[in-house]
Amino acid sequence: MTNNETYNYKVVRQFAIMTIVWGIVGMLVGVVIAAQLAWPALNFDVPWLTFGRLRPLHTNAVIFAFGGCALFACSYYVVQHTCHARLAFPALAAFTFWGWQLVIVLAAITLPLGITTSKEYAELEWPIDILITLVWVSYALVFFATIIKRKIPHIYVANWFFGAFIITVAILHLFNSAALPVSFLKSYSAYAGVQDAMVQWWYGHNAVGFFLTAGFLGIMYYFVPKQAGRPVYSYRLSVVHFWALVFTYIWAGPHHLHYTALPDWAQSLGMIMSLILLAPSWGGMINGIMTLSGAWHKLRTDPVLRLLIVSISFYGMSTFEGPMMSIKTVNALSHYTDWTIGHVHSGALGWVALVSMGAMYYLIPRLFGRELYSLKLVEVHFWTATIGIVLYIASMWVAGIMQGLMWRAVNADGTLTYSFVESVQAMHPYYIVRTLGGAFFLLGTLVMAYNLWRSISDARPVEVEIPAPASAH
Amino acid sequence: MFIQHIIGLFTNPAVEWEKIRDQQKSGGGSGVGFVFILAAIPAIAGYIGTTQVGWRIGVGDPIRITGESAISIAIIYYLALIIGVFSIGWVIHLMGKAYEVIKPLPLCIALAAYTATPLFLIGIMQVYPVLWLNMLLGLPVLAYTVYLLYSGLPIMMEIPPERGFLYSSAVLAVGLVALVSLLAMTALLWGMGLQPVFTS
Repeated sequence: MTNNETYNYKVVRQFAIMTIVWGIVGMLVGVVIAAQLAWPALNFDVPWLTFGRLRPLHTNAVIFAFGGCALFACSYYVVQHTCHARLAFPALAAFTFWGWQLVIVLAAITLPLGITTSKEYAELEWPIDILITLVWVSYALVFFATIIKRKIPHIYVANWFFGAFIITVAILHLFNSAALPVSFLKSYSAYAGVQDAMVQWWYGHNAVGFFLTAGFLGIMYYFVPKQAGRPVYSYRLSVVHFWALVFTYIWAGPHHLHYTALPDWAQSLGMIMSLILLAPSWGGMINGIMTLSGAWHKLRTDPVLRLLIVSISFYGMSTFEGPMMSIKTVNALSHYTDWTIGHVHSGALGWVALVSMGAMYYLIPRLFGRELYSLKLVEVHFWTATIGIVLYIASMWVAGIMQGLMWRAVNADGTLTYSFVESVQAMHPYYIVRTLGGAFFLLGTLVMAYNLWRSISDARPVEVEIPAPASAH
Repeated sequence: MFIQHIIGLFTNPAVEWEKIRDQQKSGGGSGVGFVFILAAIPAIAGYIGTTQVGWRIGVGDPIRITGESAISIAIIYYLALIIGVFSIGWVIHLMGKAYEVIKPLPLCIALAAYTATPLFLIGIMQVYPVLWLNMLLGLPVLAYTVYLLYSGLPIMMEIPPERGFLYSSAVLAVGLVALVSLLAMTALLWGMGLQPVFTS
C-alpha cells in the first residue's frame, strides 16, 4: 500500500527554530538578573530593568517560550511519526504557532512594564490568559485528533505523556487563572487568602510536574530510543511509572507552603506524596538510562547521546533532591533560601534544557534534510553546559545552606545573631560563581545555535512521505 | 605502598590505575586500609578549624564550636566518610550487573577509595574554614576527582571506554545522590536539635 501523504513539518520547523531563539533570549535574561544579584547597580535605576520585573520575564521565557516551543515541536513531530498520520487541522496547528508567539511577545511587553497578576509562573494578565486558553484548546484538538486518525492500533507511550501534559496544563491554567477583571490590565484572583496560595501552588508544582516533567518525559521516550537506535528498555515500566507519576504529582503542591497558614494535615499530605513521587520519577530515569546503556558503543561517534545521559542523570538527581527538600524538617532550613533556586536549576538546566537540546540536535537537521554540521561543537556544548550546571548548583547549595543557618541562628538571649542584610552580604561570592555558571550554560547554547545554523543555513525545508505502517508487530 | 599509588594518580593516572588493578588481581595488595588514615585528614582538620580558627559569616567575630561538640562531629564526619567510600564501592559492585562486568567487591572499593583520595587530601584546607576559599580550592580538586573516576573506571573494570563512560556517569549520579542525602540528613539532625554547641 502506498501512501502519498506527507508529514506536516512546517509547524514543527517553526516551533523548533523558535525553541533556539527563545532559549537564547530567556537564558540571556537569566544571566543578566544573576549578575544583578551579584552587582545590584546593573539595573541602572531603570524601573523595567529591575530584578522584580525581569525575573518573571526570565521564568516565562525559559519555561513557556523555550520549553513550550520545544514541547510543541517535539509533540507535533512525535505524534505524526508514531501514528503514521499527518497532523490534523493544519489551520489550527498554524494558529497554535502564531498564537503562542503572540503570547510570548505580549509577556515580553507586559512583564517589564510591571503588569502582573503576581502569581508565580502565571503572571500574565487576564486578556493574555484567554489567548493562552484558545491556543491550548487548539493544541489539544490538533494533538488528539491526530491520535484518533492514527494508522497503528496502539498509542506509543510518548503520546501518553504528551496527552497527560496537555490535558493537565489546560485544567491547571483554567483553575489557577480564574480572576475577576477590574480593568483591561488588572484583575484579582477568584480565591482569597490561603486558598489562593494553595491553588497557586497546586498549579505551580504541577507546572513543574506536567509542563516540565511529563511533557519532557514524552520527548525522552521518543528521542532517546531514536538516538540510541534501540527500543525502550521496558515498555511495562514506562506504563506503570506513567500512571504512578500522573496520579502522585497532582498532590505534591502543598510542600511549597510548609509552616504557613495552610492546615498542617495538608502540608503533611503534600510531603508524603512528594516522598512517594520518588518511585515513579526514578522509574522514568531507570528506563531512560537503561535504554541508553545498550547503545554504549555509539558514544564515541555521537556526543548527543552524552548530552542525553547527563540530562537523565540530572533528572534522577533532582527528583531525589525534591522529595528530600519536601520533608518538613529539611524544608524549615531550605525554604526561601537559594538551595531551592539551585534545585530548580538542576532540573531546569540539567534535565529540561539538555533533553530539549538533545531533541533539537536530532530534529532540526532532519527537518531540513541535512546532517549535523559539527559533532566537535556538540562536544564543546556538552562540556560548557555541564560545567555551567555544576558551578550553578554547587554555588547555590553552599549559599542556600549558609542562608538557612544564618537566618535561624540565635544568641543565648534569644535575639537573632545576624541581620538579614548580613546574610545578603555573605552571598556575594556565590552569586558571582552562579553568574559564571549561567554564562557558561548560555555560551553552550550559543555554540549549539551556531552549529545548527551552519547545518541548515543553505538547506531547503524537506517534505517526507508518511510510510505505510508495518502490518504486525 | 598506597602513597606511591596516590602520587602516581597525580603524575600518571592511567599507568597507576593499571598497577592498582593488577595488584588487586594478584591479591598481593594491602587493599584499602589506607582509607582509614586518609579519612582522618578532613576530620582532624575540621576539628582544628572549627575549634581553634573559627569561621566568619559576613561580618562579626569568628564563630567557633566548643571542643566537646566538635569532637563528636569529627567522629561522625570520619565515620560518614568511611561509610561513604565503602558504600559507593559496594554500589559499583552491584551496578556491574547492568554493565555486564562483575568485579570482586574489594576491587570496586579500591576504585571508590583511590578516586576519592584528592578530596581527602584537600580536606586539610578545613583547618582554615573560609567558605569561599575552600570552594575555590575544592572545585578544581573535585574536577580532578571526577576525571579520575572517568579515566580509572574503564581500566579497573577492564571494559571499553565508551561503556565505562556510562558506568562512570551512573557512579557519579549515585555520588550526587549521596551528597544530597548528606545535606538533607544534616538539615534534619540540625532541625531536630542536634546542632553543634557554639562558643559564646
